[in-house]
Amino acid sequence: MKFKHESIEINAGLLIALTMVVISIGGLVEIVPLYFIKDTVEQVDGVRPYTPLELRGRDIYQREGCYLCHSQMIRPFRDEQLRYGHYSLAAESQYDHPFQWGSKRTGPDLARVGEKYSNEWHVAHLIDPRAVVPESIMPGYPWLMQPLDYADVADRMRALKFAGVPYSENQQEFDANVEKFGPDVANELNILRAESNLVQQAQSANYDGDRAKLTEMDALVAYLQMLGTLVDFSKYDEGYFAEFR
Amino acid sequence: MIEMLQWLGRLENSKIVALLIFFVTFCGILFYVFTGKQRKQRLESYKYIPFADEDDAESDETRKVDKR
Amino acid sequence: MAQGAVLGTQQYNYAVIRKFSVMALVWGLLGMAAGLYAALELAYPLLNMGIPEITFGRLRPVHTTLVIFGFGGSALFATSYYVVQRTCQARLYSDSLATFTFWGWQSAVALGAISYMLGYTQAKEYAEFEWPIDLLITVVWVAYFWVYVQTLKRRSQPHIYVANWFYLAFILATAILHIFNNISVPVGMFTLKSYSMYSGVQDAMTQWWYGHNAVGFFLTAAFLGMMYYFVPKQAGRPVYSYRLSIIHFWALSFLYMWVGAHHLHWTALPDWTSTLAATFSIMLLLPSWGGMINGIMTLSGAWNKLRTDPIMLFLITALSFYGMSTFEGPLMSLKSVNALSHYTDWTIGHVHSGALGWVAMISFGSFYHMIPRLYDTKLYSTRLVYVHFYLATIGIVLYITAMWVAGIGQGLLLRAFDDFGSLAYTFIETVSFLHKPYVVRALGGGFFVSGVLVMAYNIFMTIRQASREEAAIEAKLAAKLARA
Repeated sequence: MKFKHESIEINAGLLIALTMVVISIGGLVEIVPLYFIKDTVEQVDGVRPYTPLELRGRDIYQREGCYLCHSQMIRPFRDEQLRYGHYSLAAESQYDHPFQWGSKRTGPDLARVGEKYSNEWHVAHLIDPRAVVPESIMPGYPWLMQPLDYADVADRMRALKFAGVPYSENQQEFDANVEKFGPDVANELNILRAESNLVQQAQSANYDGDRAKLTEMDALVAYLQMLGTLVDFSKYDEGYFAEFR
Repeated sequence: MIEMLQWLGRLENSKIVALLIFFVTFCGILFYVFTGKQRKQRLESYKYIPFADEDDAESDETRKVDKR
Repeated sequence: MAQGAVLGTQQYNYAVIRKFSVMALVWGLLGMAAGLYAALELAYPLLNMGIPEITFGRLRPVHTTLVIFGFGGSALFATSYYVVQRTCQARLYSDSLATFTFWGWQSAVALGAISYMLGYTQAKEYAEFEWPIDLLITVVWVAYFWVYVQTLKRRSQPHIYVANWFYLAFILATAILHIFNNISVPVGMFTLKSYSMYSGVQDAMTQWWYGHNAVGFFLTAAFLGMMYYFVPKQAGRPVYSYRLSIIHFWALSFLYMWVGAHHLHWTALPDWTSTLAATFSIMLLLPSWGGMINGIMTLSGAWNKLRTDPIMLFLITALSFYGMSTFEGPLMSLKSVNALSHYTDWTIGHVHSGALGWVAMISFGSFYHMIPRLYDTKLYSTRLVYVHFYLATIGIVLYITAMWVAGIGQGLLLRAFDDFGSLAYTFIETVSFLHKPYVVRALGGGFFVSGVLVMAYNIFMTIRQASREEAAIEAKLAAKLARA
């Protein structure tokens, strides 16, 4: 059979099939290899999944749409290095479902905001940003002082486990986590202890300054305070990460 | 000949191979669309399809264009 | 005149198109008003008022969803149903399925907006719908595809007109993008919350493959379909070159899908991917401009229409903005330019020169052409179309110049160093700099929204006039019958 462009023009089925082929190529070529090329995500120590409290904090971060004004992706430029710290690695967001790299910096990048400010500063700033930074245009979030709902935190961890995050639900998975992350982290990743772990972390660190109450503020500040703190960059030679780029 | 085919099959040459395939296809479409007097007439006749449906007020003018 | 209406409504399904057109205007007004309020919040943060539902972070997805999917989506449903019927001279397949697409789509948009205000979001830009709404959209989309293809099959001549190719590519691409980007794991059967199946770098790539092709197919290819029908129709002349439109179609469909990764320059995405995306972004300039030239040259030899026909003014201005933003896009996809422009308001300005200048303007022009024909009447006021045109144009110009100043200005301030090699400005100093451009941007948005208000009034009066005409005819008919 001789192929003619005319047959595409008069045959809806063929037009659909060819259009599908043409529009599929680009995505396939760019997305699929990212799962198979080993160097896409760097080999680096320290990156771990979120603890139950941090996870709930991250959920609140998304609920309030923080990612629309704050990026979590430092680029390899001198000014960003001075302002925010070492450029971000792919490995650092490997447990992020979804990623929160952002696309706009109406506020500063938050990829390494962890441990840069005190808990008290974060609480004051989140409740009323202009009380701390007069020129700020960030909305205030006073309602974060309401109690945190953590009844379904185990379900949330199970959903993430299904998506590939190594939370553990049985002894075998727990042992694997002990091997990979060490006993302390493995304990935090145990779904069966999710609620008690969450309460304990909030109690001991007391992020919102009120030990009597477990608030959304506890969760959000816990999340902000760990951002970008997992990788110890002093352990690596600068050339090491460049090999992966 | 076999050597050439093997070269085409190697993964590291995929960029060149892809470029060749896509560019040749593109040139083929260009060549097809812009050659042949009959084909030109046929293809360009389709641009009157939106005017085949005449119950509009502006139909007078389009009919004029139609007859060009 | 009246006879035409009877014929038209018998031959074609206009009822569903009327519904979609009216809802497009309703969502357009709501969505743009939400955008205006969000813009004002950035200029005057007090306006957040400590109310969770209207803080910037929750209002912004409401704005983007209502204008892209509410306004843009409804406009595309309306015009595609119109174009496919008129170019095939066949009635739309299945009235009930078409009506289902209407109610399904409207409820998805409404549920989406409400759920974001309540804090339910997938936290992926332009794909914020949580999983039950995603499922609803998928069902509606399959129905839409089926109605469209079955109508194409009923066409009266063998050739499928090129506008339908573009609409078809949009339907197919949107289906693929929507399904693959939204694969997620629900926390439970009775909760809206879910987590993306992808993570980190792969999620980023999938998201911007989706994000940019929402622009490429939803906001470009489909509106090009609109252009290929309404520009020739309004001009009363066939499109400049049909053969160019075929090249335009295949090149655009192929190239667009590669460019998403230019949203991820200098990030943790591997360099090979973003370089590939940048290369294709540059190549994309060619089909984009080919299409623009094809549209504008349709008027060749009849330029005087621009002086007498405000609808033509809308359509041609839309094409000019399309040309401008498809030049700006490849420019911003260059890694060196992107290093400055990314994360700043330049991106926001670029999006709006495309969204307001191209998408909204071509829709307005097409609506002014189509709606009087749907109701078989004349437009209530041509003068108000001129008023709308000038309000919209002034609004866009104010908006994009303000964003150029804001974006380029902030980009330069952030990378400035003092004599000792340390940073010249703190981040918050650049935020203070943004205040004035933000006020001007909100002003531009205000102009644009008031233009849409004028349009809504004009269309409302047109529809009212049509129903009065119809009532008059019916009365006459009744009188005749009574006499007989």
